[in-house]
Amino acid sequence: MGEDEKNKKPKLKMAVYWGAACGGCCVSVLDVHEKLFDVVAAADLVFWPIALDFKYKDLKAMPDGYIDLTLYNGAIRNSENQHIAMLLRQKTKILVAYGSCAHMGGIPGLANFSTKEQIFDRIYCDTESTENPEKIKPQHIYKVPEGELELPIFYNDVMPLDQVVCVDYYLPGCPPQTERLLEVFMAIVNGSELPSKKTVIGAYEKSQCDECERKKTENKKIKKFYRPWEIEDDGETCFLEQGVICLGPATRGGCGTRCIKGNAPCRGCYGPPPDVSDPGAKMMSAIATMIDANDPEEIENIIEQIEDPAGTFYRFSLPGSILRRKVV
Amino acid sequence: MEEKRIGVYVCWCGNNIALMVDVEAVSEEMKKLPNVVIAKNYKYMCSDPGQDLIINDIKEHNLNRIVVAACSPRIHELTFRKALENAGLNPYMFEMANIREQVSWVHTNREEATRKAKSLVVGAINKVSFHEPLDKRSVDIDPATLIIGGGISGISAALLIADSGNKVYLVEKTGKLGGHTANVDLTFPYLYSAQQMIDFKIKRLINHPNIELFLDTQIEEIFGYVGNFETTLKINTAEKVELKFGNIIVATGLKTFDPSGIEEYGYGKLPDVITSSEFEKMLLHGKVQTKEGKVPKNVVIIHCVGSRNKNYHEYCSRTCCMTALKYSNQLRSALPHSNIFQVYADMRAFGKGCEEFYTQSSRKDIMFLMFDQQNELPKIREAGKKDNCNLIVEINEKLSGEPIEVPADLVILMTSMEAHEEAKNIAHAVGISMCGNDFYIEKHPKLDPVATTTDGVYIVGTCQGPKDIPDSISQAEAAAARILAIILQGSVHVEVTTAFVNEEVCCGCQTCICVCPYTAISFDEEKNVSVVNEILCKGCGTCGSACPTGAIRCRHFTDKQILSQIEGLMSITLEEV
Repeated sequence: MGEDEKNKKPKLKMAVYWGAACGGCCVSVLDVHEKLFDVVAAADLVFWPIALDFKYKDLKAMPDGYIDLTLYNGAIRNSENQHIAMLLRQKTKILVAYGSCAHMGGIPGLANFSTKEQIFDRIYCDTESTENPEKIKPQHIYKVPEGELELPIFYNDVMPLDQVVCVDYYLPGCPPQTERLLEVFMAIVNGSELPSKKTVIGAYEKSQCDECERKKTENKKIKKFYRPWEIEDDGETCFLEQGVICLGPATRGGCGTRCIKGNAPCRGCYGPPPDVSDPGAKMMSAIATMIDANDPEEIENIIEQIEDPAGTFYRFSLPGSILRRKVV
Repeated sequence: MEEKRIGVYVCWCGNNIALMVDVEAVSEEMKKLPNVVIAKNYKYMCSDPGQDLIINDIKEHNLNRIVVAACSPRIHELTFRKALENAGLNPYMFEMANIREQVSWVHTNREEATRKAKSLVVGAINKVSFHEPLDKRSVDIDPATLIIGGGISGISAALLIADSGNKVYLVEKTGKLGGHTANVDLTFPYLYSAQQMIDFKIKRLINHPNIELFLDTQIEEIFGYVGNFETTLKINTAEKVELKFGNIIVATGLKTFDPSGIEEYGYGKLPDVITSSEFEKMLLHGKVQTKEGKVPKNVVIIHCVGSRNKNYHEYCSRTCCMTALKYSNQLRSALPHSNIFQVYADMRAFGKGCEEFYTQSSRKDIMFLMFDQQNELPKIREAGKKDNCNLIVEINEKLSGEPIEVPADLVILMTSMEAHEEAKNIAHAVGISMCGNDFYIEKHPKLDPVATTTDGVYIVGTCQGPKDIPDSISQAEAAAARILAIILQGSVHVEVTTAFVNEEVCCGCQTCICVCPYTAISFDEEKNVSVVNEILCKGCGTCGSACPTGAIRCRHFTDKQILSQIEGLMSITLEEV
């Protein structure tokens, strides 16, 4: 070992794992491009199923607290997600809920508007392309001549990571902006003082509007709601002032207003600003004040124009909100 | 953080609560909760011994938060806040659970009522755990007063305030003082000359050293808050004057109803159909005559024109019945040989001297005919050549049930009072609200009839609703007295449970600005954040619920406090169901 290597700080041990996720978060880690060399120079990736050939037994064999930093992306949909989340918690010093699904439940969390039975009926029996006359559905345990087969238990509820394990930090986004990840990563590598536990990192306190370059006034009076394709967006005026629902005001900045710059309203993946426990309720309440009518019937008619309100206001946050799920 | 030490007191309210709620069980249950140091029940918590119980416990057990489960906070919240203050605690470290109006008075099952009381108290305990001490604030009062409107109400208020030695700015839109009173000949029921009454007041007003008069003047938007308002006046649409003042009296008066829209009466088409204001002018000129200059042989007075009818105004204009009787009296003196008809819907003769006036007037050879104001208005048509009169008034007479044709040479329409056409602009400029018919809304219809929901702004006279001269003056002088009381205090307390903006979080979306009913929120372009003027803010919470970022917090009603209260409310029910 040369002198240089000896003086070097010990490398971080880092893991990336996915629960109920689309894979986008893992890809966002790869999106660091050439900076990956800096990452690899500072950290050893000890577990990352999408990219590296580590096995469950390798993880299990690690001593407690062995991993310095784990980015857990994806929601908790089944018993396997939960089991590995708990295992990673045990093996990790800093566990980060990475991305919208781990943070608040994300898109998979919209399944909480249905029950497990409804989901299985749809997926395994009813879809237009399904041919399943015997209505065979996945079982937790299934006996075959060779023995018992076991599948993870599919839960009725989708949960964000912090509903099954204690989370140190949240790094929101669908997926998180790569620059934000690098900032957080470098802060940990450089031993900077970390913010207090259980807070959101890699995002701003202020919401999207602060960064958004569109013109905003107090004139948010909505007589009719439009979906983005129904209007000719002038590219300059606040979406809400054009009657298009934009979750920007109730969503933390940090993404660089990616969607808005692409002329699409914010969908809320960065989650609520601090102190807001239910972003969907907050945004609905704000939208309600913008409706430009006093007659109850007219108000009702305007509200009716909102397409899929639950999916719009809780697109990324349902399991982590006060609402959590549809009561059945 | 300081250790939370909560005292809980359950009131029996004599039997009011104790009969329906097991107060003993409620206080016992609360003892089990974390941070609850003491939980007691007592016969009358609001009594002196009840309050002393709290004060002594605070001192003895170092309590720093108090919950009283008793009546509505509207009744005794202030009482208990004072008790906390007396014990040296910040009065806002207190929460009340209403187990009387919301429990014992409205339920019949003791067991369930007790359970509900428990959950309300747990909610209150949870909320008080997150209370923060709030400091009282006060603002100095500028002793000048702005009065908008130079009618009898504005003038009366101005004189009273000015006589006390305080400055008054009186703004009148027209070039003339006296308002509608100046257009009236005699007043009911004593037939005094309106001119003599108002001329004397106007003379005094013009020469008063403490009154600055602005005629032909409009006001622009008024900024500020109680004690410290300011505005710009526009005189003759050109010259501008800036004023500062501490209180405002709105005395913008009324507009008379235009009856041309009522087809039955033919006003505007039939020249001898005139309004009551036009008739007053005739009286002031001393000559009652038809358009052709003839002495009318038959005069018909139609009541409720534009009043008490769902097509026009549903309200009663209050003064027309007596004014119509006054006309009969004046007509009888002027035209001793003419026929006078009162065509009325209901004769409303309330008020001092009015019923007597009605009795007297009815003895003067006047014909009273009643019509159905809701379903069938009288109809006026031109008389035929053979008729010995100009007009015919057709009535389905209600008392006799007979259709009657009344001859007329002159018809007087008793037109209703309505809100001024500029009422909306003034309301916006001053920051007050209007009811459905555009009259201004008082703070409380019974208990606070001259104040408005905006501190420092008072409404007097007919801009608040139809009324006669003595009622207008009473209101004007009541408002003046209210203002003098405030001037005398020198300062007023302002709401402390206000909203404030966390600038670290506010993103500048401006959702909050137009939802504020008190125009208390403005936008700071430089910092790109909203700013709440905490003196204008009444703590209504609208902005807090509209704010999508959580940047606006409403003191004493933060999300954290309310959510924990809800959690408390749910806890008991969930456990036992």
